[in-house]
Amino acid sequence: MPPGLRKRRRKQMIVLAILCLASATVVIGYGAREGIEFYRSPTQITQNPELSRDETFRLGGLVESGSLEFDGPVVRFSVTDGAHTVMVEYEGILPDLFREGQGVVALGSLGPGSFVATQILAKHDENYMPKEVMDILKAEGVYRPPE
Amino acid sequence: MFALYCRDVRLALRSGSASALSVAFLLTVVVTVPLGVGPEPQSLSPIAPAIIWIGVLLASLLSLERIFFQDHEDGILDALIAGPLPPEVIAAAKAGAHWTTTGLPLILAAPVLAWFLHLSAEAWRWLVFSLVVGTPAVSFIGMFNAALTLRIRRGGLLLSILVLPMCIPTLVFGVDVLTRAELGQSPVVPLMFLAGLSFLSAATLPFAAGYALRANLD
Amino acid sequence: MTNPEKSAIDGESSGQNRAPDPRRRSLWEFANPSRFMTVSGRLLPFATALTFCALTVGLGWGFILTPDDYQHGATVKILFVHVPAALMAVNAWMMMLATSIIWLIRRHHVSVLAAKAAAPVGLTLTLIAITTGAIWGKPAWGTWWAWDPRLTSFLILTLFYVGYIGLWSVVEEPERAADLSSILCLVGSVFALLSRYAVVFWSQGLHQGSSLSLDSQTHIDNAFYFPLVTCIAGFVLLFVTLVLVRTRHEIRMRQLRILRSRRLHP
Repeated sequence: MPPGLRKRRRKQMIVLAILCLASATVVIGYGAREGIEFYRSPTQITQNPELSRDETFRLGGLVESGSLEFDGPVVRFSVTDGAHTVMVEYEGILPDLFREGQGVVALGSLGPGSFVATQILAKHDENYMPKEVMDILKAEGVYRPPE
Repeated sequence: MFALYCRDVRLALRSGSASALSVAFLLTVVVTVPLGVGPEPQSLSPIAPAIIWIGVLLASLLSLERIFFQDHEDGILDALIAGPLPPEVIAAAKAGAHWTTTGLPLILAAPVLAWFLHLSAEAWRWLVFSLVVGTPAVSFIGMFNAALTLRIRRGGLLLSILVLPMCIPTLVFGVDVLTRAELGQSPVVPLMFLAGLSFLSAATLPFAAGYALRANLD
Repeated sequence: MTNPEKSAIDGESSGQNRAPDPRRRSLWEFANPSRFMTVSGRLLPFATALTFCALTVGLGWGFILTPDDYQHGATVKILFVHVPAALMAVNAWMMMLATSIIWLIRRHHVSVLAAKAAAPVGLTLTLIAITTGAIWGKPAWGTWWAWDPRLTSFLILTLFYVGYIGLWSVVEEPERAADLSSILCLVGSVFALLSRYAVVFWSQGLHQGSSLSLDSQTHIDNAFYFPLVTCIAGFVLLFVTLVLVRTRHEIRMRQLRILRSRRLHP
């Protein structure tokens, strides 16, 4: 009796494990499909505004040169990705590295006429690094194995 | 298997200390952090998700050693392994019992304690959910490492060094659920990853732990 | 129970970093190690000499003969230690994973001892990578440390090495220690990989994008490229040599232990 029971229990356990693994795959797969998006581009928003209504999300792109204007405490500027442009309205202190022509990520939601941001992050990837070092670091990436 | 699970839960409840102790530990964390950080809601609120999650993680660590220790001392574990249940089933039952006796009380206590840390209402709504989805992974990871360090006297320190790095993904996604909820974003994605981690741990770690148990009890 | 699908790694590829694997004919404690000892003993002088040559040439070339980077001056030369160390820190764990799996499936003693021998070497390389990275980071980014995903995952890798070495050090019975540490290595690999993805997610999800992007492929100037390749080769050889020496040491210790117990209980 014991060996038979043992085998049966083990079989049940393996079936259970396979079920768990399958659910893990489904759930992670679903998450991965949704999760790639860290921010939306102005093109995505202009072409499909319904998708972005009533939702908080991150808007990413370049601050259009010459679009920055101050209106008391309120800052207005346009974020562009070359093809489309979205107006952004923000009340608060801009980060030090916020510049026209540079990358920006704004968190907020679509308001009437413009994107109302609650938080502004400057994308300062290459800014504080000498270009040559950057190139070397990039080359360095060639030799690192994918971990 | 179910009988073993019930027995473990009953034993833990009868002694009662494990569940109460871990909740008390979480309370201690919640009390000490504001004393270090300062009482202002605006400084506590942003770190509240991290404090709760790290507190839950550390509190579950406390009772890990007990998963196998008592049964090993009494020789019950040897009998169990020799008995009709395969070791991975025993391991899974043990992890389940640990979750019921430690994870569940922590999940019930967390929303109350979160109020003290000024966790925002948006994040608070998701707190219990993220803990329910995430803590099984912690119990399974802990159970596996407890099986590894079963015979080591005073293995508690090594156990925590082994468990905490493995819990990093759980912590990251668990906190991210709350952070996203706080910012008004949809927390579904990290929640999915969190569930994935729990499923993955539940599927694989009992077998690894079963192997470790057999190696330890040869 | 030991993930049979992983058995693909078993076989020829086993010695990816270790020199000729002894043929596994017997599982008996002594036969295989003795074969390994002969082969590795013959190989060791060559490995040592090659390591010495490659490192002297690579580092000498890199430190003395390469031009200073005109933006960055001489600090760029730390590249010749930093990159190979970081590369081998990860590869050392891969090798430990491979040899641990071989142990779990084939019960091959040399294999698991090689994993044990590689762990401190890997840990040292990880620490070297982090330290040189910090020294380089100060002039390059203006900070010793940033919670960049790559830096963070190296720190996490350190923890996994420490845990693995810790487990070996507290379990006394060699066979049991081998079993437990191998299964830890297997599970740890999965979770180290998960941590890696989690850290990338964490860094992108909460903060601005990583401060360094190492993904795109730009070519490095030839003046830096060739000494770098030589240095990488030197570090690979150094790793192989160190692991050979340490594995031989482990085997001798094991033999000593057996001899001693024989004398005590004849």
